Amino acid sequence: MLISNIKSRPVYERLRLDGAGRRHLVVSDAPRDLPEVIDGVESAGGLLGYWMVASTATVDGQPQTASAGGNAGEVETRAFRAVSHLMDRLTHRLAQESVGFRLYAIGEEGFIWEIARLAREAGLESYECQTAHAGSMRRKVFCVHCKTITSGVTTSLVACDGCGAHLVVRDHFSRTHAAFMGVLADAEAPGDLPPVEELFP
Amino acid sequence: MMGQTLKLRVASAVTLAPTLKAFRFVPAEGGLVPASGPGAHLRLFLRDGDKVHRNAYSLIANPDDRSHLSIIVRRVAASKGGSAFLHEQVREGDVIEAGLPANLFPVIRTARRHFMVSGGIGLTPFLAYIAAFEAGGTPWELHHFCRPDERGVFEALLDPYAGTRVHIHSGGTLDVLDGPLSHQPLGTHVYTCGPDALMTGALERAAELGWPKARLHSESFGGAVAGGAPFIAVLRRSGIEVAVDAETGLLDAIEAAGVEAPCLCRGGACGQCLIEVADGVPEHRDHFLDHEERASNRFIMTCVSRSKTPRIVLDL
Repeated sequence: MLISNIKSRPVYERLRLDGAGRRHLVVSDAPRDLPEVIDGVESAGGLLGYWMVASTATVDGQPQTASAGGNAGEVETRAFRAVSHLMDRLTHRLAQESVGFRLYAIGEEGFIWEIARLAREAGLESYECQTAHAGSMRRKVFCVHCKTITSGVTTSLVACDGCGAHLVVRDHFSRTHAAFMGVLADAEAPGDLPPVEELFP
Repeated sequence: MMGQTLKLRVASAVTLAPTLKAFRFVPAEGGLVPASGPGAHLRLFLRDGDKVHRNAYSLIANPDDRSHLSIIVRRVAASKGGSAFLHEQVREGDVIEAGLPANLFPVIRTARRHFMVSGGIGLTPFLAYIAAFEAGGTPWELHHFCRPDERGVFEALLDPYAGTRVHIHSGGTLDVLDGPLSHQPLGTHVYTCGPDALMTGALERAAELGWPKARLHSESFGGAVAGGAPFIAVLRRSGIEVAVDAETGLLDAIEAAGVEAPCLCRGGACGQCLIEVADGVPEHRDHFLDHEERASNRFIMTCVSRSKTPRIVLDL
């Protein structure tokens, strides 16, 4: 029942540092090695930051300086306890940033498009904020009937967290909501549901 | 034919400086002037004996005020006659003809803040910008560069907005831009209007400081319409030949010959007037065709471009 070739379905490329920028910040929803997630860091000069979500209470989000390897300068690395922790600090950072800044986000789609939304709200345009997918394919699903967003969906069919309706998860993607569209699966014949498939591991 | 034209009465003509004169026009037959936006310009058709000067000037008033249209004209020493005619011959009460306002330098509506860099008379579009920003409560900042002897004139023009947002520089260097360009909040756009060297200099400095191209805007005056070697345009489908003299634009000449040609902005920006070239080499003056399209010599934007060859054959 999924419709393919939906234009709103994002297509991702590997992150590449934009050498025209003056300050760069890479954010990741999991600990990853920087060279694994982005190319071209050697052209960043010294003003490169890397923030990641460590998903543990043992980190404090304080800046630490490390070498980016090769010819690259130093990278200021910060590890955050959780996505919310990183988002909170990022909001503050963006409010103080000036034009010349570039943002790069890598992780699950729910995460990278939340980052893109924060960036947009802070005044960054799409050409100043790159996104790339890594990790699980699980989706946030927006119920078109009750407007609730259900997170962590891995299946073709899901019960809405808000109204309990059985939703078909479509490929239509909303950058505003960072979520995919979910519509009632049994609208034509109530109770007649298609088989549930594990589609977004 | 000049497309749709307006009849405007000169409500006032005020000398600001030996080479600067401000004109205020109202509709000759009453009513409101056409709607336009900040950055729009007005093309005047000035009948000077048997010559017609076609000069474009930026509108300086808030476009939301539809009671009048205002411009400032610098008398150019190497003038082909248009600016001298306005300075010497046009008086209060005269009725002159003009095209509809067109905008090749619009404000970016999604910008959070507007950073303007002007040089000399290049201030004019920003007077309309500032009026609109002030009315809408949008943050802005202006850096104006001028000769020391004209500082007073521009201070007077900007006096209503004097304060921290207006910076007038008459020191002759663009270095003063580096600090402010390094500290603009995310979402700011840069606009520049003035002499080529100033515009190029400001844009290069911004790019050096990490500004993406899409945040940088400069006034591309559609002024180079006329001027150039005369040539013959062969209109293949209409079966006629049109002589384009040194003072007339190709589109104007085609229209004068009674042939309907597509057009919209008349400034080389919109792409509406694109015509296929069957033979001859265009002299491209538009901002629409990309590098490859230009190199192919297969298309011409008739509103601004001319011909490098003595004859050019058009599919029109």
